[in-house]
Amino acid sequence: MKNISTSPFRKAKSIQGMLSIAPVMAIILFIRLYPMVSSIYRSFTNWDGLFRNDWVGFKNYIVIFTDSPFWTLLRNSMVLLLSVPLQILIGLFIAVLLYEEVKGWQVFRTLIYLPQIVSAVTIGYLFRIAFGLEGPVNIILQALNLGKFAIEWLGNTWTALAVLVFCLTWFSIGWQAIVILGGMTRIPLDVFEAAKLDGATFFQRTFLIIVPMIGRTLEYAVIMSMVWTFTSVFAFIFAITNGGPGFETTTIDYMIYTKFYQAGSNFGFATALAVILLLIIMVFTIIEMRFTSKASDWE
Amino acid sequence: MFFNSLKQRTDYLVNPFSIQGLTLTWDNYVTMVSQFKILDLFGNTLFISFFTILFILIFGIIASFAFAKFKFPGIDLVYILIISTMFIPVQVTIIPLYIFYSKLHLVNSYWSVILTYLGLFLPEAILLMTSSFRGIPDEMLEAAELDGAGYFDKLRYIIVPMGTPAIVLTIIFYFIVTWNDLFTPMVLLQDMGKRTVMVALASLLSRYSGDPTFQFAGLVLATIPAIIIYAIFQQYIIKGISAGSTK
Repeated sequence: MKNISTSPFRKAKSIQGMLSIAPVMAIILFIRLYPMVSSIYRSFTNWDGLFRNDWVGFKNYIVIFTDSPFWTLLRNSMVLLLSVPLQILIGLFIAVLLYEEVKGWQVFRTLIYLPQIVSAVTIGYLFRIAFGLEGPVNIILQALNLGKFAIEWLGNTWTALAVLVFCLTWFSIGWQAIVILGGMTRIPLDVFEAAKLDGATFFQRTFLIIVPMIGRTLEYAVIMSMVWTFTSVFAFIFAITNGGPGFETTTIDYMIYTKFYQAGSNFGFATALAVILLLIIMVFTIIEMRFTSKASDWE
Repeated sequence: MFFNSLKQRTDYLVNPFSIQGLTLTWDNYVTMVSQFKILDLFGNTLFISFFTILFILIFGIIASFAFAKFKFPGIDLVYILIISTMFIPVQVTIIPLYIFYSKLHLVNSYWSVILTYLGLFLPEAILLMTSSFRGIPDEMLEAAELDGAGYFDKLRYIIVPMGTPAIVLTIIFYFIVTWNDLFTPMVLLQDMGKRTVMVALASLLSRYSGDPTFQFAGLVLATIPAIIIYAIFQQYIIKGISAGSTK
């Protein structure tokens, strides 16, 4: 970037500039920061949204850690995180194929991103149908004489989680492939051509040439996907398992929703859960901030 | 999915895979429109998407213009602060927001969803547009200023035309996101007549006894708008995503 801070244009325009950012600041203040602070405060109360609002100290947190399905929720999020390496590995292979412009790569590039366009509700429903007791997956298994594997996928903890991991992976591969492909455009073409001429195989080209050169992109992809897995899988879970059986496939973000709707619910408890989620995300964010502060390099 | 949506219920239950020798029917679609009122739901969602995008553009463009081209003490700090709110999960804010809106009598109003979306999406949109506007040469703005161009002239004749790719990406991307979102409208819109397409579909689908072919028809219809937008603008979207800015 050029050094533009000395240009006359930048001077004496403070009022215009401040007015330009005022609406956004107001929105962020009222819609994001105020509710966040409010959540943190309410998490130490037995707030019910109406009248009850007594300070209870760390009681909500103690209940969460000792007398709630919290550890199951955390385990579920951890299991769902397994989809991140899967997404990135498959996304990486696809990105390399696209980079090498295999036959039909343009059509393929369009198709691979398509799941991201379809709503999670739709995708989740299709997975629920597919893995239903009499769904297509079991019909195929029976047709292949593998009837003993035709089980109630969504009725057991581990198979239900596996279906969710599969679904999240399938949904995210396209995003990973496109992001990684974007990072690969910075690789000098001659390095890649030279490796190919020297007879490097597909895997050698992928892991010895490309991976070391797109470290920052991969880091970005990993962190964004981890944050996403903790905060944005609500619709998938809602459509596929509804959090069940029991709380066996419920995640923290899903639980907040469930608690919100329970009659006579303790919002203090739900906000305490939300604060824990916030702390988890903050750890990722602190790492991520290194990238956003470099946002101007992306031009 | 599309084939199954055309089938009759009994045919589907006999064999979900068959694509031949069936009586195909548009009945499910007719019911979707006449009974399920899916077109009204489309209208609700479009209203929310349209105003969300409109305000993201108005507030986002002027703020990004300032962040990219104005220099005064504290502006960089404000920028970092706004961008970092991107990472506050919506679940953290939703309960206080719900109470906040109910005090303002905004629960069950589209504006509660639109306001929430603005808070959620403006930082990301500003990140994208600011980095695009930074690429506009200062000389152009200075030259325009010498010719007597004011603040709005510069926006209209320089910033918006030069930043069009980022602006178009913002429109498309947030159309798809707001169209498909479930969580926020599900919490804030409980009135049956005001639900978005996805909220209504989610509740239709959660009735296990429902007729699968009818549900398929709803899913097909709800998917079409986003797919059309993607088909037309996929070059923009793919370029934008590979610039590493949005998910």
